[in-house]
Amino acid sequence: MHKGEKVQNNKAINMTAATKGWFLLITLSIIAVYLPEFVDSRSVTIMGALVIVALKGQQIVDIFMELNNAPKLWRTLFLSYIVLVPLIITVIYLA
Amino acid sequence: MSNPSITAQVSDKKLPGDLAMWFFILAELTVFAIFFIGFSVSEQLNAEMFSLGKAQLHQTAGLINTIALITSSFFVAIALTQIHKAKAKQAVFLLLTAKAFAIIYISVKIWEYISLFEQGITIETNTFFTLYFLITAFHLMHVLLGMVILSFIAYSAWQGKYQNDDISGFESGTSYWHMVDLLWIILFPLIYVI
Repeated sequence: MHKGEKVQNNKAINMTAATKGWFLLITLSIIAVYLPEFVDSRSVTIMGALVIVALKGQQIVDIFMELNNAPKLWRTLFLSYIVLVPLIITVIYLA
Repeated sequence: MSNPSITAQVSDKKLPGDLAMWFFILAELTVFAIFFIGFSVSEQLNAEMFSLGKAQLHQTAGLINTIALITSSFFVAIALTQIHKAKAKQAVFLLLTAKAFAIIYISVKIWEYISLFEQGITIETNTFFTLYFLITAFHLMHVLLGMVILSFIAYSAWQGKYQNDDISGFESGTSYWHMVDLLWIILFPLIYVI
């Protein structure tokens, strides 16, 4: 395979990943909004909504921001943010 | 002796855009984290007031804005794939599409503010609405700045400035826009849903 062909294939994969990421983000957003209507417990709703935030954040960080191809330190920093902030909020609400 | 394939893999790990932009994004995320945590603590201290306040917000408008920002971010992400392929004109078209979705976000947000003002609700109504207006207006300012940045990189792309793999400026602009999206996906459930 020539170098040019490899680059084309990588970009095609990125486009597919972005489309899948967009679909997942929209689906999770809709689930998060209607979650309180299907779950009676407020604690479960809070935890569910904030787990969804972390899942959506991972898609944005890895797919849209392309940090899955970045140095480990930067990817870890951003993934930590989208896990830690919802976790702190959950602890405050459930305290 | 080092394995050439491993060496190639290591060198492939590159931070998109300028390092300074990533520090700026981290600083912005930290400021918003303080807002989010402050909002949560205030809600715990004023549970009934926050519950009544959230009930007065338009959740569907929030969902429309979520879809608009995510879709905008998607078009910005695929604009970057076009720049990688040296297809500047297609990238500009995709950035303009992304901006159209951002305009939907801004229109809905302004409609929300006007609806609340018409009900006599302002930033001084109570702690919930003080924080609501402060956090959402601060985020809106970032959306507006992001649109200026998208316009700049679209213009630069149209002028043919992102060639020969020198796309760092374009990547920095797209990363900023994704940060705006990342902040909204935390802000929306925190203020509107839970």
